[in-house]
Amino acid sequence: MRQKKILLVEDNEFNRKIVRDLLARQPYDLLEAHDGEAGVMAARRDKPDVIVMDVQLPKLSGLDATRAIRAEPETAKIPIIVVTSFALSGDDKKAMAAGASAYLAKPYSPRQLLNTIRRMAGDA
Amino acid sequence: MPSVVPSMPPHEAGVLADPAARSPLAASGLGDRISRLLLTYTPLGRLVRGVARLRSSVHFKLLAAFLLVALLVAVMGAISLEIMSRMSAQSDAMHRAHERVTSAGEAQHALAMQMNYTAMALILRDEATIGKILKENNRLNTMLAEIEDAAPPEERGIIQRIRAAQGDVMATVADVANLVRDGKIDQAMELQLASGYPLFQQVENLVEQVVRLEERNMAQQREATARANRHAFYLMGGLVVASLLLALFLGFVTSWTFILPVRHAQRFLARVAKGDFSTTVNVDNRDEFGELAAQMNKMSAELNRLYEEQRTVARQLEGLNAQLARASQAKSEFLANMSHELRTPMNAILGFTEMILDNIYGEVPPALRGPIEDVRTCGQQLLRLINDVLDLSKIEAGRMELSLTDYSVPEVVETARTSLRSLAEEKGLLFTAEVAPDFPVAHGDGKRITQCLTNLVGNALKFTKQGQVTITARLEGNEVVYSVSDTGIGIPADQLDHIFAEFRQVDASISREFGGTGLGLSITKTFVELHGGRIWVESEPGRGSTFSFAVPLRVAEAREAA
Repeated sequence: MRQKKILLVEDNEFNRKIVRDLLARQPYDLLEAHDGEAGVMAARRDKPDVIVMDVQLPKLSGLDATRAIRAEPETAKIPIIVVTSFALSGDDKKAMAAGASAYLAKPYSPRQLLNTIRRMAGDA
Repeated sequence: MPSVVPSMPPHEAGVLADPAARSPLAASGLGDRISRLLLTYTPLGRLVRGVARLRSSVHFKLLAAFLLVALLVAVMGAISLEIMSRMSAQSDAMHRAHERVTSAGEAQHALAMQMNYTAMALILRDEATIGKILKENNRLNTMLAEIEDAAPPEERGIIQRIRAAQGDVMATVADVANLVRDGKIDQAMELQLASGYPLFQQVENLVEQVVRLEERNMAQQREATARANRHAFYLMGGLVVASLLLALFLGFVTSWTFILPVRHAQRFLARVAKGDFSTTVNVDNRDEFGELAAQMNKMSAELNRLYEEQRTVARQLEGLNAQLARASQAKSEFLANMSHELRTPMNAILGFTEMILDNIYGEVPPALRGPIEDVRTCGQQLLRLINDVLDLSKIEAGRMELSLTDYSVPEVVETARTSLRSLAEEKGLLFTAEVAPDFPVAHGDGKRITQCLTNLVGNALKFTKQGQVTITARLEGNEVVYSVSDTGIGIPADQLDHIFAEFRQVDASISREFGGTGLGLSITKTFVELHGGRIWVESEPGRGSTFSFAVPLRVAEAREAA
């Protein structure tokens, strides 16, 4: 059985490495994109099973990228976990309004992220 | 940001709407309307201003007006005395005329009696009757003398003719009397008829003339008295009317001389009261009122100067304020950016630490577990500080909003307790929570309420070396009251008031000993107030403190937008 694909859209190398290390021993293939535009393109090309989307991204913000992915029929159904570093009241609502399936505030617990990914991938 | 200076001075609106400010003459009431007409359309207005311009004191002007009225009364008195004396003279003259008419009548009567006695003497032929003739003759002479005293020349001439004729009569009477004494009655009668009687008739005619003259004189006198009475009546009436008019006139002029400046001052003060300091009061008076107006103008000028000064200062302050606001905005934005930039590496630090401790990278050697846990604790502490700074920057920028949802009060209490339980355990403190498990569902920003409670509990644990920290949550009416009690160092009474201000700790040595930025309470207070609640503290130095805050059980949705 093919491994599920997780697309991580994140501009910070260390934060990418956390997810990389977190998923290293998990049955998932990790795809990485460094900005919003690359994230939208990767989603269109690779059709990942779950997308982990940072909000503060160069070129295209995570919320705009989420909206773009939701706007395309081929990618509209992919679960998207939006991660923000503001953790402000109302950020979760904004993320959900943009089309997020789940919302995590930075700094998140890797354990919590893994649980959310599993849930979104239908593995939990 | 409310501007310090209103764009329009307050006095520029509403002055015209104030009836008292329209004109010094404008006032309701019939009397006032009449006065206004008089002052506007008659020379009285000019006169009033003229009197006002007189360089003399109000005291003197009033005194002069009263003296004028008093003088008029005195003149009236003098004139009425004069009239009275004239009336009395008239009455005397009348009386005299009456007496003279009476005298004339008596003279006539005496003459008649004289004739009568003469005739009787012819019949009775006795001395007594002849004596009576003489007596009546004397009476006639006396009466004539009385009349003659004040008689006009014409009448005096007649009287002299009477005397002359009466002399003839008496001579004839004497002859007649002698003839009677001699018994020559026939001769006596003849003499009497021939010369006595015609002479009598002559005298009688003359006396009749005098009587008529006197009667005419009395009629004239009566008419003169009636005329004098009428004259006196008109004169007195005229004087009374003139006095009334003069008194009214003087009263009008003097009172308006004082009312006008008072009205002016009233209007002026009304304007000043509305904030119009550029106005002046102009009165014609050169008396105390003029002095008063001059003083008021000085006051107004001074007020205007102060107002302008204040406006200038306010403008400067406004500029400064705007500058400060811009600086504050820039600071807030900087802080927000900084917080964001700080949180990205924090995510990595805390993430890697957790993964190491979760043995993602293999079994952690027991000797390393302690230090790595310390890294995690300190990282979490650092994160809380960063969160506080971010919150503060949001609060200062006015962009702090609540996210209202239903939340569970027991869960909030449990979250606060769980997140700080390890710290309490490390310090060996008894750490308990009291909350009813069937607490009704609350509505508000549960995350922020949790943050508030965590702040208070964090402080309590920080400032308590031994003893216990207790969290309670209870329902009081429509409010949830959260309290955190400790047995810590407490707060001096004089510090209780500003304990909730930003960056505030009881004193600098506290931050050295206990650490902390002093932001927690300020942020907590802001969140509680955003919920429409309140926060307070009871404390006794050395015994401990109880921080409490109350928020509505269900915060109205409208508050979310505020």
